Amino acid sequence: MANARSLVKRLKSVRNIRKITRTMELIATGRFKKAMDRATEAAAYTRKLSEIVGDLGKADLKFSHPLLEERPETKKSVLLVLTSNRGLCGGYNGSVLRNTLRHIQQLKEDGIEYTLEVSGKRGIKFLNFQQINIDRTYTHFEDRPTFAEVDELGLRFVDDYIAGRIDRLDVSYTRFDSISRQEAVVESILPLSSLAGDSDAKDESGSGGNVDYEFQPTPQEILEELVPAAFRAKLFKCFLDAAVSEQIARMVAMKGATENADEMAGTLKQQYNRARQASITSELAEIIGGAAALE
Amino acid sequence: MADLRLVLVTPEKTLFDRPVASIRVPMFDGSAGIYPARAPLVGRLGIGELVLNGTDGSSESYFVEGGFVQVKGEQVSVLTNGAMPVSEISRASAAAELEEARAEKATSEEELNSLARKLERARKLVSMATVD
Repeated sequence: MANARSLVKRLKSVRNIRKITRTMELIATGRFKKAMDRATEAAAYTRKLSEIVGDLGKADLKFSHPLLEERPETKKSVLLVLTSNRGLCGGYNGSVLRNTLRHIQQLKEDGIEYTLEVSGKRGIKFLNFQQINIDRTYTHFEDRPTFAEVDELGLRFVDDYIAGRIDRLDVSYTRFDSISRQEAVVESILPLSSLAGDSDAKDESGSGGNVDYEFQPTPQEILEELVPAAFRAKLFKCFLDAAVSEQIARMVAMKGATENADEMAGTLKQQYNRARQASITSELAEIIGGAAALE
Repeated sequence: MADLRLVLVTPEKTLFDRPVASIRVPMFDGSAGIYPARAPLVGRLGIGELVLNGTDGSSESYFVEGGFVQVKGEQVSVLTNGAMPVSEISRASAAAELEEARAEKATSEEELNSLARKLERARKLVSMATVD
């Protein structure tokens, strides 16, 4: 009977775990929806920005801005790593950090000096364990990064880049392609490769038609303001993408865990029933055997 | 008379998207009014007050922090880093912000610039605050 009792205990704990993972899945689903809404809202701003860029393109203007220029030689770079503060989200942090390590290796091989900035407790713990020096850490970006918080970093990067203290800014994060597809990538966002930002925004600027705009003050001066704004919006998008992807990863991981727990509970229940039946049978056999011996 | 449609977007969300009668935006060098059938315009914004008059005669004002305005036909898009209704600015918090900015010391050029930005923002906030 001892066997059956231990099975009951295990069955109970598996059911408890299932309750927990199920709840976490539901929470992640709710948070994912909120994060997703924020990301779509933010897309409106990027779309408008690229529309204005398109308008500027029609004016006779050379696109030149310090943030757009690629430096002939990259000496110093900043690597910004976006991970989550919490675990239990499957391979989310793992894949970002794997990419990060590879990138750091690459930087070392190329002889580029780098400053490492990490957001999220998971990444900080991992890199500390790998004994990699981290220059700055952030743990205040939860699943709802605000623009003001991200902009603090954005402004600093812009100043540093223009002053020539950094030549490149790479962000290692999880890019959100669609609900079923997120990819951990290392992206260079400074120097800014394209102003239009995303490919989905490009057709928007093309549909504007030929409108003769009045520019105040001059197209050049607007551009000077626009380029940093485009960069900051892009950085913000990285944070939003990371937040959305984290929730999706957690949702998927917890769904898997719940299904696993279900399966395990089923097997355990079966084992328990067998053990119970076996003990009843053996007890009966003992009684019958005892009775037969008395005759 | 053609209508105007104002779209006010910040990096975080679209705050406002509906028809209006007229708008006043804080340009980099002073206020500019926009009425229906204005010529197409792309302009830079400063820090200040955005006032819009609704089609029903009501008026609302927002505090905006720089950005751009684009006028194209009946559509007016205002892109800004941050915006909030003036009715939400409290005098106390605006004064506190100004005090904080004043107390800061800048040593390098960038710090000087960012401090100047903060000061301007705080001063505008103080001047626009209406509720206690």
